[in-house]
Amino acid sequence: MATKGVTLNTNARKIRFARRFISILLKMRKTRSPCSSSSIEDVRKRSQRIKIAAYSSMAHAVGPRRAWSRAVLFKLRSRARHQSMMKRRSFGLQKKRVVVVKNNNDIIPSGQLSQADRLRQLVPGGKAMDMCSLLEETADYISCLATQVKVMQTIADHFSK
Amino acid sequence: MDGHENEDVGFQHGSDGVLHCPSSGMSTNPLPEKVSGMAMSSVSMYKPSNGADPFFSSGWDPLVSLSHSENFGASSMVSHSEFSNPPYPVVMENQGVSSSFHLVQYPSSSTLIEPVPKLPCFGSGSFSEMVNSFGLPDCSQIANSGCPQNYASNKAGGGTGKTSTNTAQSQDDHQISGEGAIGSSPTAKRRKRAPDSNNSPFSPHQNAEGEVQKDLSGESSDVLKEPDEKKPKIEQNTGSNLRGKQTSKQAKDTSSGDGSKDNYIHVRARRGQATNSHSLAERVRREKISERMRLLQELVPGCNKITGKAVMLDEIINYVQSLQQQVEFLSMKLATVNPELNIDMEQILSKDIIHSRAGTGAILGFGPGMSSTHRYPHGIFQGSLPSIPAATPKFPSLPQTMLDNELHNLFQMGFDSCPVDNLGPNGHLKPEL
Repeated sequence: MATKGVTLNTNARKIRFARRFISILLKMRKTRSPCSSSSIEDVRKRSQRIKIAAYSSMAHAVGPRRAWSRAVLFKLRSRARHQSMMKRRSFGLQKKRVVVVKNNNDIIPSGQLSQADRLRQLVPGGKAMDMCSLLEETADYISCLATQVKVMQTIADHFSK
Repeated sequence: MDGHENEDVGFQHGSDGVLHCPSSGMSTNPLPEKVSGMAMSSVSMYKPSNGADPFFSSGWDPLVSLSHSENFGASSMVSHSEFSNPPYPVVMENQGVSSSFHLVQYPSSSTLIEPVPKLPCFGSGSFSEMVNSFGLPDCSQIANSGCPQNYASNKAGGGTGKTSTNTAQSQDDHQISGEGAIGSSPTAKRRKRAPDSNNSPFSPHQNAEGEVQKDLSGESSDVLKEPDEKKPKIEQNTGSNLRGKQTSKQAKDTSSGDGSKDNYIHVRARRGQATNSHSLAERVRREKISERMRLLQELVPGCNKITGKAVMLDEIINYVQSLQQQVEFLSMKLATVNPELNIDMEQILSKDIIHSRAGTGAILGFGPGMSSTHRYPHGIFQGSLPSIPAATPKFPSLPQTMLDNELHNLFQMGFDSCPVDNLGPNGHLKPEL
């Protein structure tokens, strides 16, 4: 695992992620109203969008090679498709139909999830994996998350100066 | 507001409720937006980590709320940009697909339930005898990647060896039954890719086993009646297996002989270990899991001394949750930051690259200095290019994808200042993410 090839691979992934994420941020900045609306809700919405952008950028940077990135991309696309369909229909129905509270993560009657189940909830696409592949995907997911955090930290630090 | 409500529901949906207090407190409380906005935003930083996929907990429903709010463009651009042609099957979350991932490792499903003689992949003559003893149709099922040629060549040898010794029949029957059962009780776990050739004390027995296998295939019930002095466990465990599956094995051998794939792991029971088929499969599975856990131990900081799967899993879960929290926090931070000029993006990019090169978090002090040290001529860059092997493949593609020409220049500038740092990270063995 500790090889030069892995280092180069993670660097390439980091570069891809950074590029995509920054381009999205730039686009968001362009569309943002010039009067800096710093209402809390706007900020929160923006933060949500930025977070989704970060995860999708990371998933795109990783590509369809990993199960978790595939799961993330699939969710994004299905969401996008769902939203576009909702938009095409009536706007009035949107509010009611969007909320899909489907709690498939059955909390065991004992009230406590097992460790494996908790990990499955954390890792995207982990609900349908056996322990072996779950651990493998977790390893890759952790590495990607760490990369993501570092890049975002750099960007945030730059802006805070 | 609507967005808020959706978010609340999303939070509720996403969280365990039981495990994390802040989230549960928030989820049950439809807060007035403005007043408690900050509280919610601060708590929302907990949310994605509360046992839920970060997307689902707070990302998805607000995404929808955003859609019919002002700016769907940002997110839609994210989602629509490259979603034209999924290069891969999209239904990834279905159980069927995931199971098909598992099945990829296994032979065709038709062979899953068949008793397959799972024989270790040896190039030795003993293996050939064992193979022969199971009967030819059985052997064809042993689609081991490394062994087919051995099998073909050893068949002839095994045939001759078979006739030589019939003496140890009684003693070896149980082992044959053990071996047969190991092969004939095919758990799905058995059929894996990597051959696992462990030397085992079976080899001395196999010479005698080989001949008896032929009898075994013929007789279905008499084999296991001999007393078993060597491996008592096997007899009881595998006897019933063998009886039950012997007929089915023979019935399906011919049919599936040609359909076998090279997806088997042939595991050898080590000395002193149980040779039950189930325990063998369990052991393989356990070894795989422990290997993955070791990988994870390297990834998660501060877990070098932890021994034990449960504690390790707790650490992993905590680490993933903390990382997701950090992402949430950083996205909030980025949202509050005012947009600056374009040129800053370039500096960020170059800084990121330097960041990755040096591999440490202490690079930030380098940033302002970097922006002031300017524009080396490209000649210098060309000279330093060979020292950046990682960047070389990236670099030709950069000009096309850069937002600006300035970005391009800054990349070069960034790489110019990189080479000093580059030697360090290239010496790094551990991947710095």
